[in-house]
Amino acid sequence: MNTCFKVLRHFTRQSVLPFVPPKKGAGLYFTILHKHLSSRTPVLSYPNKENVPPIEKIDLDEWKNTMKSSLPEETSTFTTSDDSLTATREWIEMCRLLNREVPEHISDEDLKMIAECPSKKSKKKRLKFLYVKEIHKKAKKEKQERKRAEKDEIKKQKQLGNAEESESTELKNVYLLPIQDKAFKTAWDWRNAQAMMFGQPLIFDMSYDNFMPARDLKNTVNQLLESEGANRKNIDPFHIFFCNLKVGGDYHKELLNRYKEKWDNLLLTTTEKSPVDIFPRENLIYLTADAPKVMTTFRHDKIYIIGSFVDRCSQPRVSYANAKRLNLASERLPLDQYLHWQIGNKNLTLDQMMRILLTLKNTGDWEEALKFVPRRKHSGYHSVSIDSKNFVKESEIKKSFRKQSSNAWSRELWWCKDD
Amino acid sequence: MMTFLLSFCRSFQILWKNRLNQGPGLRNQTFSVLYSYFHFSRKERRYFSLTLPFLQNTKSINLLISKTISSRKNGKNRHRQESFVSPHPLFSAGTAKKKSEMLGYKKDQQHCFPFSRPVLLPTKPLNSEEWEKVKENYEQKDIFENWMMAQMIKYNCSIDIAKSLLSWKARKNNGIVDYKLLIGYLTLCVSQRQTTEVIDVYEIVKNRYKTLELEGYTLLIEGLIHSDRWREALILLEDIKKVILPSKKNYGNCIKGALLNQEMNLAWNLYLEMLNQRIIPTWETFQDFFDFAKGVKNSQFERRLLDILLYLRHNQMYPTEPFAQSIKAWFESIPEKKWKGESVTIHKSGQCSACGRMLESIHLNSEEYEFLKQRVLKDVLDGGDQYRKTTPEEINRFENFIKSCPPFDIVIDGLNVTKMFPKIRESQTLLDVVSQLTKQNLKVLVLGRKHMLNRSWRWQKSEMAAVQNMAYCFFADNVSEDDAFLLYATLNSGNHCRFLTRDLLRDHKACLPDDKTRHLFFRWQQGHQLVFLNYYPGKKVIFQSVLTYDTVVQTTGDSWHIPYDEKMVERYSYEVPTKWLCLQQQN
Repeated sequence: MNTCFKVLRHFTRQSVLPFVPPKKGAGLYFTILHKHLSSRTPVLSYPNKENVPPIEKIDLDEWKNTMKSSLPEETSTFTTSDDSLTATREWIEMCRLLNREVPEHISDEDLKMIAECPSKKSKKKRLKFLYVKEIHKKAKKEKQERKRAEKDEIKKQKQLGNAEESESTELKNVYLLPIQDKAFKTAWDWRNAQAMMFGQPLIFDMSYDNFMPARDLKNTVNQLLESEGANRKNIDPFHIFFCNLKVGGDYHKELLNRYKEKWDNLLLTTTEKSPVDIFPRENLIYLTADAPKVMTTFRHDKIYIIGSFVDRCSQPRVSYANAKRLNLASERLPLDQYLHWQIGNKNLTLDQMMRILLTLKNTGDWEEALKFVPRRKHSGYHSVSIDSKNFVKESEIKKSFRKQSSNAWSRELWWCKDD
Repeated sequence: MMTFLLSFCRSFQILWKNRLNQGPGLRNQTFSVLYSYFHFSRKERRYFSLTLPFLQNTKSINLLISKTISSRKNGKNRHRQESFVSPHPLFSAGTAKKKSEMLGYKKDQQHCFPFSRPVLLPTKPLNSEEWEKVKENYEQKDIFENWMMAQMIKYNCSIDIAKSLLSWKARKNNGIVDYKLLIGYLTLCVSQRQTTEVIDVYEIVKNRYKTLELEGYTLLIEGLIHSDRWREALILLEDIKKVILPSKKNYGNCIKGALLNQEMNLAWNLYLEMLNQRIIPTWETFQDFFDFAKGVKNSQFERRLLDILLYLRHNQMYPTEPFAQSIKAWFESIPEKKWKGESVTIHKSGQCSACGRMLESIHLNSEEYEFLKQRVLKDVLDGGDQYRKTTPEEINRFENFIKSCPPFDIVIDGLNVTKMFPKIRESQTLLDVVSQLTKQNLKVLVLGRKHMLNRSWRWQKSEMAAVQNMAYCFFADNVSEDDAFLLYATLNSGNHCRFLTRDLLRDHKACLPDDKTRHLFFRWQQGHQLVFLNYYPGKKVIFQSVLTYDTVVQTTGDSWHIPYDEKMVERYSYEVPTKWLCLQQQN
């Protein structure tokens, strides 16, 4: 050890000291270094070490005796019940004692599902899912209660105040009754009814239900709901088609489950037919991230198809294969051309797609439209005008843009020539 | 003086460079200068990291240092050796690692300092007042005990200190220590082999709780197998089974306990049960079998150990170096048979350099070959949906094309080969390669995409025409995958046909349905994939010869050849080891 340190000190002294400017940091660093090398085990020094009599015998096994004596009853072995469900429940209870990510309360159904999980990992995942769900639920409940308490407080104060001011308040002269949500809804419905008659069709292709496990299907339906909502509120909505929607299929069931009785009043078209049966083939364009061709402009005379498919099992080229099979034109969004892509999949969610298409339809401005691409996935636009302070940066960006776009151009060229 | 100045300049230069590499920031300069010194010569860094607190005496440190230095030396020699005898440039162990280092990806850059902030731990058991005092200095009061226990486990404190922590906690909490702390204490006891303590904790836990969870069970099993109550570990194993599949460590520990107590049959039954559950045993478990069998003379058990080796063979597993040593020691310990083991490398031709026997050929037999061919056609090219990789029309076109041609000798992945040399025009590379191969009277198939035929400065029309004259060509659509066609064309031409690509074909291997087919595919790939060694435009192209022997545990009855992983070499999953253990009987 000693020799070691000597060698090291020799080295550091000889070689480092000449170059090191006399700085505070360096000195500090050396003292730390020295401390470390000289004392091998970190030692806790407590303030009045000398005052404490060191020869005080501490009973080290005291806790064992108390632990043993404080037992409720004497049992010889672990009495695990043979029933696997109760065993699992007890098991989860013990995991909670170790602060593992398991839920506090667990229903019998969930327990059954966990006991049936095929592997250890799937059990763990399921438990974590329930745990996170429980935490969210709890947080929501707390928030609600807090709000309710606040409201009550305000109410009370108002009542106190009102008692005095009730005479002085008069009814105001207003032009409108406060606008109700209902009025909005009627307006939207009018617009959507109009879209049903004259709007540009937009197709969601629902033929992917056997490519997805149940949880992904649920997510897909979530996204469908979201995009339908976005469309409904738009100033110039699409006429939405749900194609290939099998009655009684998984999609249908889940949609019914979410929309409930509203399903029959939705202002969109659902059909079991394929898009090629409804529309002329040359007007259809399948949007997929695997397509070689880049979408340059939004065309108002075309009908775009979006595959309603959440692909978390990474099956590449499924929707592109579908487009090839149906012999349709396919396009992808010009994400690389406009954005500095950083992380994440180029597949966007359905509602993001919907919002992008709506914006394109209304304005035709790509930069505006691509604002709906999640911010975490890219670091900015290629042609930056906001960053005018930093000239160097801007020119760099422009250069990279030129390079990128020329790349894109050449790539597009050889793809296109072929088609 | 002059030399001194020179050396000074040079070292300064290096330092400066290093500083630049470390990253900007004036404040960091002193640190990086200092740090770069440690980064520089690994010896120093070793000294440094060795001063971690848990190493106790100087002697052991010195010993360790000398060991690491010598092993490093060995490692260097080995590396040098290897670069000469690397049997296959793509699949021999360590190649990928070396390549990534060459390209400048350094995985083990330790940019943080070798030690973190010093942790203050007590050196002797404390009484309650002292613990209170320590707790006062710690910020997060609610997790203090658990944090302290975690630190003790990290630095391997003596259990007396942990005990004092527990008794303080118990006194505060009217005699009850909670489960988490108890598990922490158990971890400490198990890691220090304090068997009596483990049994005490076992008693407490058994009485207090109806059931435990995995971590508690695992620790108890690990601790109990060294005591005379080791049979209770088996009961614990049964308890785990009620809820969850026991891990390989649980089984491994139980097997070890049985072996320690000479219960060979029990150990073997546990091992079989484990295999039935499709749990792959750890190397330690295998090693335990071989280590414990050394003293025992039992022909039945001997046969079982050979079964283990056959299991390794069937699952294409390669032993680690310590396990290989145990195997060797066991073989050599068998009386009257006089086994002799040696660590060797295998000659390119597949001849063992120690005993001169030829190793098994890598080529598939006709049955396996036919099976693989069908699977590739079905799973890789077709894949359930012909449109994903290609189109049905194209498959038809390709099949007609293959039927119209005689079997090929070499199939070239045109795009892959030409893109390897970015400075040379693509069509020229292709022409060079094809013309050299056809000069040897080989029938060549070039696979490519249609865009290669379009005139551009990268793909000269005249050169492409020359290629088409010399070789058979198939151009797939630009959106199709040409690798799948490559595989099928090669397989269809027969066993003599090779293919030329740098691609490791891992994604195609992943398309295959089960492990067995994947192994077949990998064996076939090793035996048929040609790789460039060197190429300059206009000069001769040199190919690396393919492997002729199979890297797998193998026997001829009176000899065993066992490939194993070296400690110093990092092997990627698609690579195979280059070191072998050769065992032969001497008469």
